[in-house]
Amino acid sequence: MELDYIMGIMPALIDGTKETLKIFCFTLLFALPLALPISMSAISRFWPLKALAKIYIWVFRGTPLMLQIFFFFYCLPMLTPIKLDRLSTAIFTFVLNYAAYFAEIYRGGIESIDRGQREAAKSLGFSRWQTMYLIIIPQAVRRVIPPVSNEVITLIKDTALVYVIGVPELMKAAKDANNRDVDPTAYFIAALIYLALTFILTMISRQLERRYSRHERKDAV
Amino acid sequence: MAILEIKQVKKRFGHDVDALDDVSLSVAEGEAVAIIGSSGSGKSTLLRSVNNLERVSGGEIVIDGDVLVHTDESGNVQYPPDREIRRICTKTSMVFQHFNLFPHLSCLENVTLAPVKILKKSKEESAAKARELLEIVGLSQKADSYPDQLSGGQKQRIAIARALAMDPQIMLFDEPTSALDPEITNEVTRVIEDLVRRRMTMLIVTHDMRFARDAASRVVFMDSGRIVEQGPPKQLFEHPESERLQEFIRSYQG
Ligand SMILES: Nc1ncnc2c1ncn2[C@@H]1O[C@H](COP(=O)(O)OP(=O)(O)OP(=O)(O)O)[C@@H](O)[C@H]1O
Ligand SMILES: [Mg+2]
Repeated sequence: MELDYIMGIMPALIDGTKETLKIFCFTLLFALPLALPISMSAISRFWPLKALAKIYIWVFRGTPLMLQIFFFFYCLPMLTPIKLDRLSTAIFTFVLNYAAYFAEIYRGGIESIDRGQREAAKSLGFSRWQTMYLIIIPQAVRRVIPPVSNEVITLIKDTALVYVIGVPELMKAAKDANNRDVDPTAYFIAALIYLALTFILTMISRQLERRYSRHERKDAV
Repeated sequence: MAILEIKQVKKRFGHDVDALDDVSLSVAEGEAVAIIGSSGSGKSTLLRSVNNLERVSGGEIVIDGDVLVHTDESGNVQYPPDREIRRICTKTSMVFQHFNLFPHLSCLENVTLAPVKILKKSKEESAAKARELLEIVGLSQKADSYPDQLSGGQKQRIAIARALAMDPQIMLFDEPTSALDPEITNEVTRVIEDLVRRRMTMLIVTHDMRFARDAASRVVFMDSGRIVEQGPPKQLFEHPESERLQEFIRSYQG
């Protein structure tokens, strides 16, 4: 490993990292909020809505992400008039896929809240909707932070999959350098960059957990 | 005039569990009615039906002149629309065995949340009222604490303050001291006895016979989903008529 060589491939890897972060940020930006109505539908008493949400979650969690990427890349332009570039296709797929995972986590969080909380709320006169946003969701947020953080860390690594449709993110940059120079150094540096990113995310999630666990009751009744 | 009128209420769970089997009970303003009976006799179900936590399978419940539910000639159980149910149910407030305080809110916020969001009172007015109520239950110093920082007895006193904050006409207690250590049941019982003195109308499900005897104005004994016997505490405990009640009282003495 020569320093000159490393300096030579760094700009390409940094550009790749920027693309990776773009996919990552846009996915979170859309998937985290999108998952909320999906999870609400999944626990809704209105069965068509519930069925729809359940099927959505089942399909997106039950098929490989790689397949979904190919599907939207090849089929979307064929079946619909929508024309997306590679990066947008990747983000689109990730948003739909991760929204399904997040929705399932939210649903679990909401359902894990003690039944007594709903009863107390109902007996005080809160409507179902008020109970949800004043009492259930604020408590569920704390519980879903650890599983959501896990998914977020997985997401950083999953972004590497989109090299298959030629999005110039970090993985593709490393692969191109290796193919061109027959030198695995680029993979090594890419690994370090992924590690740094997941390390930062782990730190942030710990921080969040600490902040939100302050008033969590220790003895569940 | 009765403030709470329960007529021939039935509640069936599944196909064969008759939790309530033609229960009728009339409660006048200012009465403190203790409901006793062995486990599974339907005490909680009765209270929860009054508070609409359970939907009854038959009968009629009238709270302060408003019909929460009635059953027509052909046996159809009829509830008013949701909004109306909620309005009627704010006339009653429930205190649960397991407190069910909101753990993400401070004690003061637990007490003010419903008045602010449901009665649309101002924050200042609600907070002032809440502090008065915390004073009554002896916990003014805990206004800014969170529920998990309190003992069981303190939690239950906050829960009582939260229920009182809605200015209910009727307070419903479902075994308010059963989840507490024996040494600290007194601090909760004292608060309830204080409400008896203030002539608050109350229905109190309890396994605490001393409390039923000393504090209640009337005792109702339930067995297998029916009210078997009722009357002033002295009469009920000293001259129980039914065999089931005699047995029940013996089980407490023995
Ligand atoms: N949600 C439910 N589903 C099915 N059966 C129920 C339900 N709730 C209560 N029951 C049944 O109804 C009957 C009356 O129950 P309830 O809880 O009212 O009794 P209780 O007098 O409050 O007893 P305890 O002193 O143990 O609290 C019991 O047989 C119980 O098993
Ligand atoms: Mg009970």
